Amino acid sequence: MSSSNSIHSSAMKFAVKAWSNGRARAGVLHLDCCPTPIDTPSLLLSTRKGLPLFISPDLLPSLPSPDSHLLHVSPLHFLEGLSMTTISKIGGLHQMLGLHEYGFAAVPRDSIQCLPEANSTNKVGASFETPCGRLLIKPAEYMEMISSLRPELWATLADEVPAWVSDKRNKTSVDRTIKWLDECIALSPTGGAVFGAIVGGSSLEERQRCAQEVARRNVSGYWVGGFGLGETMDERPALLNAVTVSNLTHIFWQK
Amino acid sequence: MALRFEVLGRFNRARAAHLTLPHFVCETPLFMPVGTQGTIKGLTTNQLEEIGCQIILGNTYHLALRPTSELIDELGGLHKFMNWPRAMLTDSGGFQMVSLLHLADITEKGVTFQSPVDGKPMLLTPEESIQIQNRIGADIIMALDDVVRTIITGPRIEEAMYRTLRWIDRCIAAHKRPHEQNLFGIVQGGLDPVLRDICVRGLVDRNLPGYAIGGLAGGEDKDSFWRVVAQCTAALPEDKPRYVMGVGYPLDIVVCSALGADMYDCVYPTRTARFGTALVPEGLLKLKNRAMSDDTRPIDPACACMVCKNYTRAYIHSLVTKDAMGSQLLSYHNLYYMMQLSRNLHSSIVQGRFPEFVCNFLQKMVCISLSLSSCH
Repeated sequence: MSSSNSIHSSAMKFAVKAWSNGRARAGVLHLDCCPTPIDTPSLLLSTRKGLPLFISPDLLPSLPSPDSHLLHVSPLHFLEGLSMTTISKIGGLHQMLGLHEYGFAAVPRDSIQCLPEANSTNKVGASFETPCGRLLIKPAEYMEMISSLRPELWATLADEVPAWVSDKRNKTSVDRTIKWLDECIALSPTGGAVFGAIVGGSSLEERQRCAQEVARRNVSGYWVGGFGLGETMDERPALLNAVTVSNLTHIFWQK
Repeated sequence: MALRFEVLGRFNRARAAHLTLPHFVCETPLFMPVGTQGTIKGLTTNQLEEIGCQIILGNTYHLALRPTSELIDELGGLHKFMNWPRAMLTDSGGFQMVSLLHLADITEKGVTFQSPVDGKPMLLTPEESIQIQNRIGADIIMALDDVVRTIITGPRIEEAMYRTLRWIDRCIAAHKRPHEQNLFGIVQGGLDPVLRDICVRGLVDRNLPGYAIGGLAGGEDKDSFWRVVAQCTAALPEDKPRYVMGVGYPLDIVVCSALGADMYDCVYPTRTARFGTALVPEGLLKLKNRAMSDDTRPIDPACACMVCKNYTRAYIHSLVTKDAMGSQLLSYHNLYYMMQLSRNLHSSIVQGRFPEFVCNFLQKMVCISLSLSSCH
């Protein structure tokens, strides 16, 4: 059965082309900067300071197109050696990296070197272990980075906790994530597509609660976080199900 | 002989030529990047072609250890192994042996050393060096010479020079592929003009396809360095290529070209890139410097390479010494710079504007220190 769910923002258009008998769907993502549309499901390329790790930018076109046109960027990478003022002066990610036909998706966590540090996260901001030490990122600071970098899409700041925290801590993480979601939306620059962060650890109820709250906000997509932090592979499908049950039309999640 | 050397233009002693090798027709003067272990660190062979690289160097010593010359031969030679379609040169292995291995001992037989793999005693003879190079399959191969640093004085220099002449005959005898690979002799003799002269004559008598000037680029003062190059280029045959080994700095290449040399190699451009230093017309740009952190200009506004067309100094500054991409981008720029320098040398000589080019080049380099010691 096909459905014509679609969403528009100034930088991004997404439409579902086909559904499976279950929940899987094939879609297409149009980004203004990319000459060809991107088929979904799609894998993002990891980057370090915006450039793919071991392939230089002039060799990027040798990768299969268009699936290799979506790059994941961690704003935290730029805290080492490059000020936001300078990045703004240069003109943002596209100008700085010389990659004009590629789309950037900004998420603080890169799952390699910039990892959420739940014990140090507090009501003021999210803590991350990074190569430049432990950093506490407040929503306002995060939004400054997003405004300088100008990615096509970006996830709001989340409190990601490992699977073994107490129920109380897990619930707090959802409350904080929703609060920060509103703060980020309030400060969002024009031109980028906001992906609301959904957390909730290993609790089906919390996952569902978070998803419902985020779905009430005016966002262009959903970033499902908090995976790869101690839950088992078996738990994951149920947790994802709890999130997608609200019939959210477009999601991107990260392990 | 498997090469042709055709001079297209001259200015005084400088000459621009076509050097036709089995795998590629090269334009000289030219710089050869060093691809120690069958790769130029930080660049693919596609990128090397794109920036105009004509010949690259492979190190016999490193390749013989890993993955061994027999394997390379089995897989069709180094060109196929590393997917490089243009020209290649291998050195004899002698230099690394002496510079990398503290316990190397040079005798008439060859160079004895301790294998870095298992500590067993090993011997590299002229015959063995040529056999390894025959298996690797480069367009130009180098004779095993007895290399002595120019900072050493005394009878050792004379001994090394005469031994080099005795060894060249053994190299020639051992060379099984003279119609596909060109064996170059290497002029030794330290800083002594008499010894250098004897060596040049001895090598020229053997009528080799080309000649290298060795034993320099190791710490001698600049005046001595240029004097030796000048003497050798004056005495070597006009109609054969001259290769100054281990050079190097852009200034040295310009001066040696003015003195009549044609080919150069050095790890300097890529090695200095890995330390965060870019080669620019004014000399060196240290990207690690804090002043670079908010400099939104390209490394060199006049450079047409991919790095200068796309990246600011500020961005490269954030990468250097911390992220591999920093080394890759700087290596790319530095090699592009050296290829452009080679092209400029060739074309300015051919077009009759070599002196203007040299003056312009020197004028831009206002702050360089002439006492820089060359790399090895």
